[in-house]
Amino acid sequence: MTTPAARFGDVMVVGAGMSGIQAALDLATAGYRVFLVEKAPAVGGKMAQLDKTFPTNDCSMCIESPKFIECDRHPNIEILTHTEVRSVAGEAGNFTVTLTRKPRFVDENLCTGCTTCNEYCPIPIPDPFNQELSASKAIHIYFAQAVPLVPYIDERCRYLEDGTCAICESVCKNHAIDLRQQPTDEVITVGAIVLSPGYGAFDPRPRGDYGYGTIQNVVTSLDFERLLCATGPHEGEILRPSDRKHPHKIAWIHCVGSRQVLAGGHSYCSAVCCTYVQKQVILAKEHDASTEAVIFHNDIRAYGKDFERFYERAKRLPGVRFERSYVAIGREIPETRNVTIRYSSDGAVKEEEFELVVLGIGLGPPADAKRLAQQFGVELDAHGFCKTDPGNPAATTRPGVFVSGAFKGPMDIPEAVVTASGAGALSSALLRSRRGRLARDRVYPAERDVSAEDVRVGVFACHCGANIGRVVDVPSLVEYARGLGHVAHAEESLFVCSTDAAAKISGTIREKGLNRVVVAACTPRTHEPLFRDTLREGGINQYFFDMANIREHCSWVHAKEKEEATQKAKDIVRMSVARAVHLEPLQESQLPVTHVALVVGGGVAGMTCALSIADQGFEVELVEKDEELGGMARRIRTTLEGLDVRDYVRTLVRKVYRHPLVHVSHAATVTDTSGYVGSFVTTVRCEGRTRTIRHGVTVLATGAGEYRPTEHLYGQDPRVLTQLELEERLANGDLGDAGAVAMIQCVGCRSEDRNYCARVCCSQAVKNALLLKKRRPDLEVYILFRDMRTYGFTEDSYREAAGKGVCFVRFEPPEGPEVEPAADDEGRAVLRVTVPDPVLGQKLALDVDLVVLSAAVVPLAGSQDAARLFKVAMNPDGFFQEAHVKLRPVDTAGDGVFICGAAHYPKHLSETIAQALGAAGRAGCLLSQDSVTASGAVCRVDERRCVSCGACLSACGYGAVGWRETLEGKRAEVNPALCKGDGLCCAQCPTGAIALQHFTDEEICHQIDAALSEEWN
Amino acid sequence: MSTLDTVAPFAEIVAEVSRAGGETSRLCYQCGKCDVVCPWNRVRNFSIRKVVREASLGLSEIGLDDIWRCTTCGTCPSQCPRGVGQIEVSVAVRRVATSYGEFAGPARKVRAAGTSLASEGNPLSQERGRRADWARGLGVRPFAEGMELLYFVGCYGSFDPRVRKVSVAIAKVLQRAGVDFGILGNEESCCGESIRKAGNEEVFRALAKANIKAFIDRGVKRILVSSPHCYHAFTRDYPELMVHFEVVHLSELLAELVADGRLALTCSLGKRVTYHDPCYLGRHSGIYDQPRSVLGRVPGLELVEMPDCRQDSLCCGGGGGRIWLETPKGERFADLRLAQARETGASVLVTSCPYCLSNFEDSRLSIPGGDALEVKDLVEVVADSLDGVDAP
Repeated sequence: MTTPAARFGDVMVVGAGMSGIQAALDLATAGYRVFLVEKAPAVGGKMAQLDKTFPTNDCSMCIESPKFIECDRHPNIEILTHTEVRSVAGEAGNFTVTLTRKPRFVDENLCTGCTTCNEYCPIPIPDPFNQELSASKAIHIYFAQAVPLVPYIDERCRYLEDGTCAICESVCKNHAIDLRQQPTDEVITVGAIVLSPGYGAFDPRPRGDYGYGTIQNVVTSLDFERLLCATGPHEGEILRPSDRKHPHKIAWIHCVGSRQVLAGGHSYCSAVCCTYVQKQVILAKEHDASTEAVIFHNDIRAYGKDFERFYERAKRLPGVRFERSYVAIGREIPETRNVTIRYSSDGAVKEEEFELVVLGIGLGPPADAKRLAQQFGVELDAHGFCKTDPGNPAATTRPGVFVSGAFKGPMDIPEAVVTASGAGALSSALLRSRRGRLARDRVYPAERDVSAEDVRVGVFACHCGANIGRVVDVPSLVEYARGLGHVAHAEESLFVCSTDAAAKISGTIREKGLNRVVVAACTPRTHEPLFRDTLREGGINQYFFDMANIREHCSWVHAKEKEEATQKAKDIVRMSVARAVHLEPLQESQLPVTHVALVVGGGVAGMTCALSIADQGFEVELVEKDEELGGMARRIRTTLEGLDVRDYVRTLVRKVYRHPLVHVSHAATVTDTSGYVGSFVTTVRCEGRTRTIRHGVTVLATGAGEYRPTEHLYGQDPRVLTQLELEERLANGDLGDAGAVAMIQCVGCRSEDRNYCARVCCSQAVKNALLLKKRRPDLEVYILFRDMRTYGFTEDSYREAAGKGVCFVRFEPPEGPEVEPAADDEGRAVLRVTVPDPVLGQKLALDVDLVVLSAAVVPLAGSQDAARLFKVAMNPDGFFQEAHVKLRPVDTAGDGVFICGAAHYPKHLSETIAQALGAAGRAGCLLSQDSVTASGAVCRVDERRCVSCGACLSACGYGAVGWRETLEGKRAEVNPALCKGDGLCCAQCPTGAIALQHFTDEEICHQIDAALSEEWN
Repeated sequence: MSTLDTVAPFAEIVAEVSRAGGETSRLCYQCGKCDVVCPWNRVRNFSIRKVVREASLGLSEIGLDDIWRCTTCGTCPSQCPRGVGQIEVSVAVRRVATSYGEFAGPARKVRAAGTSLASEGNPLSQERGRRADWARGLGVRPFAEGMELLYFVGCYGSFDPRVRKVSVAIAKVLQRAGVDFGILGNEESCCGESIRKAGNEEVFRALAKANIKAFIDRGVKRILVSSPHCYHAFTRDYPELMVHFEVVHLSELLAELVADGRLALTCSLGKRVTYHDPCYLGRHSGIYDQPRSVLGRVPGLELVEMPDCRQDSLCCGGGGGRIWLETPKGERFADLRLAQARETGASVLVTSCPYCLSNFEDSRLSIPGGDALEVKDLVEVVADSLDGVDAP
């Protein structure tokens, strides 16, 4: 094999799951040329296989697949699927990576994705994307929305096995199939590498856990995701494997492969299973409200943002039971194939029959972790995940190689996205001198002037797999649309958002001379940008587009009334066409970007973020309310991983002061802020003076505080402390002659007032308990807990603490612990903590010298001020609300405003650092642009009709409307950069002088008329 | 809440239990897995999790039956996700109980066994001098240096009327195969495995020392045992005393002899057979395949499996010293096991442990329809299949 000539790029991203996709998009947007390498036949990773995502239950594919297309269309990203890394040489700034492109046996450039080959292929194989629960063919497209949308040939192909069949080759009209294809090598040089190979789902087969692999009606949670999914083996009907019937009684078993020191299992907690099980329970109940569900669990780890409420939502559903017990399979009943489960409840072992059993399988390192580690020269940790430094969680042990996503440990989607942006920030810092050199701009065809043309509407109706097509009669909808006035073309598509369908729309626009497009599918919230882009590709103004939502507004809510739903879909499409006819072309404006970031809050989150932005080459203004930098971390001495926090903070502060691009204001308060993304103006009062800062982006890192307890004699008895106070005493060696310590968890949270889990307290308690035991092995230490939420690798520390003699006592409110002063047997004054022990069935009375309260992490008043000033929404608990829980976890609804650290939600130090890097990555993407685009769908004032009443000014929540002096006096004027297009001002204007473009009265009235008149045409 | 008793952890007892080997009780995270898999919960309520919890808090109820219940079958520790040694915890609590002279209810038999072991070297109150009576007239020789194998007969093989028949079969089979072996006779003492599990460390050590002395004095290199409990003692317990002998279980030796052609299994059995994995042979020692390979070589034998087999084998109830205790009717695991064997349609239940054999024979007589099932040791099946060896 000859060595191919090397190609050049800036960054290689290895693994194109959600994390890799995000890293690629961030870096490409920031002006770097990215190669996105994936060993599977399509991008998407595990997230593509999920049905919905917790805790919002968004459709997983619907939020991920637009990102596939964004990658595919991005001029700075080249996607290499079905490709594995062979070797890596070089060093940071100059790596040479040799890739092996596995034979797909289909030429990506020639294939049109017509699937004729699949129809003729005689070899059935179990569909790997559907967890082998349904049949596919040896040649098939990985899944309907795959990017690239090109089939590949499985190794079970008859030609590949014995050369006896080549029918696919002969039926392909484009001669795209080449069964003699060989693996080829490709050499690419890049400056940095991001490893995002994801995780491996725990396989219960080798040990035969719970009969998986032998008992038919035992499935894994990933199998169940496919069963739930409309694109799954039974089109979203939950049918059990043995007889394809609806199971009415389902059991979920937690911790399969996790939290165990057994051979073949993982000692750590997989961190996501508790909540994904709750999601599956909720979805199963939505599929069939009469389903009986039992969840067998130990600790419920609802430690994430909004998880506690989600848990309670699942628990409150009728017919749902949570049983705190690990279980064993009793038997499979031969006649029914039902499965019995033995579990412990109320001190007795019971056996119960289920129609389906779902195993909550854990997360392990990716199958090829060892090979990857060797190839890239990075170290793995004791669990086989990528080793990282708690102080720099995006860096591997090799300079220039960064890590994102679950390769560094079990995590959920938002963390995978945050760490991707973080790895992007570090790559960008390394390569800042070459930013933009290899970047290319997207080139669109020239926009056609349609002003003189007759209106020609194209309607594209989507089946959304079975999501719409199972309820709405799509062919009859298309037929109906064809008959509507001005409609020049109508067609249907299985997934109109797939790459080929979108490309086809562009082609049809040109061929049929369409000048308006209606897509009857899902929601503009996720898919409008994709289709607008498609219109630009088709050479017409992107605002000639309307989306008719026949899924959320129709098929999903009328699943049981198919005829009526079809009628409603027709009504929706008729209305949409009526509006589309009147749509106007709009231009978007380009706003210049000030290449400066404002970071509010000088704790670890703010400092880390500021430094990372500065390292990427941008000026940063860091504003801290205290005299000193450091924030909450100044009160913490160590982390469970053993990081010396004081030392870390000292180093961080020094770096901040020394960095030429970071400017710090101490004792500073933000008094005012105005402007818009790219051009903010913020006033800061600092040491008696007022400064005005011009900046392009804002990062809010205002931190959180410790709850001041009113419970358990805190503040009344000096022997009652909080964990932070204990930590200070530990640091000062000031333990006195204490002989026994009791810690009480969940003080001030998981309650009616504060219905969230403060996430960090269980690990903090374990950390301090271990420190106590280290210092005084004879000390009695009790931890009174509800659910030990030592998620992830901290589970190991929980076990370590137990092994060192820390005694853990579970309590269930309201039967909580009671603390009272008492005298022990020898008459010594003690605090007596009384708590029922569920295993003993007795009350334990613990005589201790110190009671330590694990007090909740609570939002600060400063965050509320910042939220108000910077117009950032807050969740019900008072933490900053991100733009999208899963995919935009550090963005906010306000463009150019980012969030990180405990102000977003309580988190551990290494998580805070990771998120701060993520925010820095997102901020860097924006700061590396010379301009940003503002929407054309904004309000405009007809000055002749304006009566200067000012109603619009007070209606606008974004300060987008101001006054302009004219010869006739002052008139309202809209700043298009600030306008969000919500139209509140239009509703207030008494004279109709202010109008929202793209939603004009004319457009909307026609839409309403169409709703009321069946005859409209 | 107010209706519950209030108790306080007892640090001294925690320390005592820890010293006695129950330290892993602290690791429990209260998942309940042990209770779920425990065979007791198929016949009555019993919480080993509670025994563990009490031990970790120094609240062990040494005056109650429950601490004597664990049969040390090894099911729960093999599945405990936290690495709690439930057997060691039970043994530790029994040691503490023994040190206080507490033998609640049926456990008074443990005291009797201990006394008999100390004086006669067997738990069955039999005279030491009659230990080799079973071998009379069989031409079994006393072990002498240079012999291939010491056959360590064990207490049940020496004294229990049913298990003595197994010993006779062993002698005959070994002779047929031309194995050069001998026995210790009166110098053999109980291996001590079960009394150790019952908490009497002192007696165990005395028995172990006596056996070790006998082995060394006679120049023993390789030991054949028919009891998985002796096997466990010699492979796991005695090494703590810094001695290592080569130990072979009868099922391993039989598999070897059959495979090497030293035993020709020629007589057709014409029966459906099921095999019961003894806890101490299977879960504790990992020997699952050899007995099955022997049965697989018997002509006309159809081997069928019970639902709880191999790692999931159901305990007969005899381990942990329970073999000496009276278990009330309705609470005997062996009864469940016989029912399982019958459900397979087998006419013979084969095992490879004297305790199992003895418990199954008892159950066979006490449950309805039990006498339809034959209970045999593996070696008896082998003997039946050898041409010209009369089963005793």
